[in-house]
Amino acid sequence: MKFLLNQKPSNIGIAIGIIALLFAVPMFVSSPSVMQILILIIFYAYLTSCWNFVGGFAGVLPLGHSAFVGIGAYTSTTLYLTYGLSPWIGMFAGGIVAALMGILIGLPTLKLRGAYFALATIAFGEGLRVFVENVEKIGPLEIRGPKGLLINLTESSFAHFQFMSKVPYYYIILVMLLLVLLLTYIMMNSKIGYYLAAGGEEKDAAEALGIKVSRYKLIAMIISCFLTALGGTFYAQLMLYFYPKSVLGLELSYEIAFIALIGGRGTILGPVLGALLLRPVNELTRIYLSDSLPGLHLIIFGLVLIIVMRYQPRGLVEPVSRWIGMLKDRFSSKPAVKSGEAVTD
Amino acid sequence: MIGYVESVINGILMGSIYGLTAVGLTLIFGVMKVINFAHGSILMVGMFAAYWFVTLTGVNPYLALFVVVPFLYFFGFYLQKFVIKPIFEAEKDIREPITVIIVTTGIWYVLDNLALLLFGAEFRVAKTVVSGQMLEIFDMYFLWSKIIGAGVTLLLGIYLYWFLRHSRMGKAVRATSLDREAATLMGIKQTRIYNIVFGLGCACCGVAACVLVPFYYVYPTVGVPFDIKAFVIVVLGGLGSVPGAILGGIIIGLIETVGAQFMAATWTEMLIYVFFLFVLFVKPSGLFGLKQDY
Repeated sequence: MKFLLNQKPSNIGIAIGIIALLFAVPMFVSSPSVMQILILIIFYAYLTSCWNFVGGFAGVLPLGHSAFVGIGAYTSTTLYLTYGLSPWIGMFAGGIVAALMGILIGLPTLKLRGAYFALATIAFGEGLRVFVENVEKIGPLEIRGPKGLLINLTESSFAHFQFMSKVPYYYIILVMLLLVLLLTYIMMNSKIGYYLAAGGEEKDAAEALGIKVSRYKLIAMIISCFLTALGGTFYAQLMLYFYPKSVLGLELSYEIAFIALIGGRGTILGPVLGALLLRPVNELTRIYLSDSLPGLHLIIFGLVLIIVMRYQPRGLVEPVSRWIGMLKDRFSSKPAVKSGEAVTD
Repeated sequence: MIGYVESVINGILMGSIYGLTAVGLTLIFGVMKVINFAHGSILMVGMFAAYWFVTLTGVNPYLALFVVVPFLYFFGFYLQKFVIKPIFEAEKDIREPITVIIVTTGIWYVLDNLALLLFGAEFRVAKTVVSGQMLEIFDMYFLWSKIIGAGVTLLLGIYLYWFLRHSRMGKAVRATSLDREAATLMGIKQTRIYNIVFGLGCACCGVAACVLVPFYYVYPTVGVPFDIKAFVIVVLGGLGSVPGAILGGIIIGLIETVGAQFMAATWTEMLIYVFFLFVLFVKPSGLFGLKQDY
């Protein structure tokens, strides 16, 4: 953990400043709908950061991550509705179920090449969706097939994970995102992170050096599935209603992958940047265009993806960090100019 | 008993049409090592083209083959040349191009929603001379349009097999698929082969589209169920294998129709995924695939 302390003081200062700013946001935003969009941006950044453990570091392309969002949402909600178990506990139950599923699906597939892994995860996600859509009950747990689950709103209560105001949801998901980002950072700078990077680049060479690539990929998969399911519980409690297509759909899986690729997969801030760019575009175009011109918002979505991949195949985090670096240089070089001369570049 | 025989034959007929869509996918994958996620959307484009051709001119739907197939060939050719190639070039040294896979997904989003924007979400049926015509044998009924579809699949499969084995271009395609660098050294223009293969893959979708239009609804997301089935079929048959794709298609068609005799139709979809994962775990190279490919 020493590397966390070995940062330049200015970097730590900037990070603390941004985090403080994020915590202050609810004081300036009063509209619940704006709040909702902000929460969803952070939620998608969170999901994509979870995806990043497998999709970014392990160098494979999982396209069925909505399965784990769904497992999280369904586990905590059915436990809450049937036994009155607090979603906070259900959340971790969902996480464990998802992690076990991750082992089950990862153990045979993580050895496969990328294309096969992508297809296997799609098949897993879609198979789970069809299963949930066709089942009314698993034992004592109500699933209600395609109708979905509705959580009755009781009162604002921390134990029930229900709040009348959007603000608590904002803080919960923000803390979740920050923790995942911290974990990403720690992982990137750890042995596992280096092994995964080596395995992703040159699998055969890494294996020849004695690195059990598949084992580390599996660890990444377990972490990713567990955390994604926690996000699923959050989504269920935020919306209080969900159905198979909304939490288990292929669209969600693809959107997570899109956000990661546009932002920059395998980087810490790529998922955040991707969500920050894509979610508002998606929400706004959907609100303003989908009635008059159905489908246009998804056309824009697809075109943005194609154009970004064409000109920035590593995602937008690269040029953006370059601009920020240039900006920083400007700021830090200003005090250096002491005499009244004009600054020339 | 008759019911089962009927469903088995229907499964083979429908499955061979699934195989037809999968052939294009397997061709593209075999050479470029790219899964074309836009494949179902290209099928949709073909179906709309065939639908409009048949509806506006009122001719026999199979005549649409002569218009739709070349149209889709050039559609695929230029799609690869102007959209996919630049991205492919950027990661051509990587064994598994991931960005390209995602870009084909972007193309899927654009095409499906463009169709939604232009034609609306409603289900359309083309009225053709073969629609609803049945063949009756021993109290069993089969749609003529499905029988013709299966026949076309067989012919196309034989043609493609011959094309890849014996024609000069087919040999160049196989050489590129085996070893890009060596093929380039032998004077084969790699990018041109890719354009042609992508065009051919899309042309296969065009054939499937014309065969489907007489008995299948046309709507903007019609490609999605075919898409996912085609992925399953292609892995089942072995990525890159034409006979594997057709046989895989027939197996999927059989699971679907025979399964529907014992359970609700929605469950058969799940059965396909389970079967797919099972094959992937047991024999990831598929029925006719090479070991090195997975």
